[in-house]
Amino acid sequence: MRITHARVALELHELAHRSGPALLLLHELYGSSEDWGEAPAAWPGSVYALDFSGHGRSGWIVGGGYYPEFLVADADAALARIGRAAVAGTGLGAYVALLLAGTRSDLIPAALLLPGSGLAGGGAWPDFDREFPGPELFMRSAPAHGAFDPLVGALDQYVRPVDYAEAFARAARRLLLAEDATEVPPWWEAARRSAAAQQVPTDLRFALAELAGTIGAT
Amino acid sequence: MTEPSFSNAAPPERTRTVDSMGVRLNLLEWGDPVAQPLVLCHGMFDHGRSFALLAPLLARRFRVIAVDARGHGDSGWADAYTWLVDVLDIVAVLRSLGRDVYLLGHSKGGGQAVDAARAAPDVVIKLVNIDGFGPPGPEDPGKPLPVRCAEFLDAHRRLAHRRAWHPYKSLDDLVERRRAQNPRLSREWLRYFIFHGATESHDGWRWKADPHMPYGFGPWRPDWIAPSYATLRIPMLAIVGSEQDTWGPLPESILAERLAGVRRLERRTIAGAGHFVHIEKPADTANAILDFLDS
Repeated sequence: MRITHARVALELHELAHRSGPALLLLHELYGSSEDWGEAPAAWPGSVYALDFSGHGRSGWIVGGGYYPEFLVADADAALARIGRAAVAGTGLGAYVALLLAGTRSDLIPAALLLPGSGLAGGGAWPDFDREFPGPELFMRSAPAHGAFDPLVGALDQYVRPVDYAEAFARAARRLLLAEDATEVPPWWEAARRSAAAQQVPTDLRFALAELAGTIGAT
Repeated sequence: MTEPSFSNAAPPERTRTVDSMGVRLNLLEWGDPVAQPLVLCHGMFDHGRSFALLAPLLARRFRVIAVDARGHGDSGWADAYTWLVDVLDIVAVLRSLGRDVYLLGHSKGGGQAVDAARAAPDVVIKLVNIDGFGPPGPEDPGKPLPVRCAEFLDAHRRLAHRRAWHPYKSLDDLVERRRAQNPRLSREWLRYFIFHGATESHDGWRWKADPHMPYGFGPWRPDWIAPSYATLRIPMLAIVGSEQDTWGPLPESILAERLAGVRRLERRTIAGAGHFVHIEKPADTANAILDFLDS
């Protein structure tokens, strides 16, 4: 279905329609709703997958002004349509899920954060000596193929301070962090320190089963 | 309605456009087209005519180019507004000139000019910042981030339905609205300035500025200003007015702290001016700028 955030038309895909708690899926940087495969089929309720601005079948932001919180508002536009929902996100989508879960805790009983593209962003603190980001830099890191605006690379430049992530992690109801042995960025470590956080396996099917269990929907 | 006049305000001699990431930027030019370029960046909710008093004084020596920022004046609108893309727009203008340039900004445009100079260190020779040194402290420091983010999200939920400003009955109503914010600016000036920053249609007057522009949110904090200024390698002239005004100047202790790391700094205080130094005292401001650019 088509939803609108500001002037951007977004595609919200309904992958499954069942009674039971809803699930909203948020893809990684350069990804789309097609990334989720068969795993969400096991979710006990309705499943929705959003294409963020500049990705998949959603519209592109005229002028390239992509920033992570704009994507949080993309996801909030989906919540406005769906209502109460558990949220799962990968990479950049995991960071968006954290900020959304901390802000809309009345609508989100739990959020599942998974690794993926765009997980680290521009680091925990600005480095004023590094190359100033611009369109060339945004496009340099983009994959050669895919359905996305080349300027979405701006999303990977914004810093994600630890105290910023902590404030949202503290306000979230439940956070499930899908972790393996790989290194995680400082904002993720901050989320892990929240009393609301618990660790789950990275396998999507298992992790979603944990998420369903957490909200009593098994 | 005919253009209101304002003594010593000079209309641009030329206008042209530059594309930046798909947005058409409107440029206003004064002076010899082959002279050394000097690019001017206005503040929030203003537009290029903000420099209609200063530009003709600088145009005796320079090719003066005032940029209408995206979402302002006669430039195109975007779907989302960030500090970063505003800076990259300025960089696109600088690069379009194909040679080294002087750069000046006022208020938000001053802060963005600093970042544009950091982004394009190979083309900016000298920098002038007129009272664009950031807010005095964090916005709403006592309010939890998730509460502020909820306000941002609520505002964005309303944006889908917000296509235009409400119309005002007359140009003078817009003048009074702006004067309530900036009481040091005369009605005569505001009538001239807002005439170029508003449009009249069948049901009244509306701002040209994009109503979607002021709704951003993120982790930025004023503590990041001083370390970013400290990476500047070119000379910067910091200008403030002597008079306390709505949006400036900053308390001296805060301003001094932010400027402390600037390696090649000059400072001037223009007597009898508030935040809009270049509008209240254009001749004194032009002299300070010309002294600095010549030295």
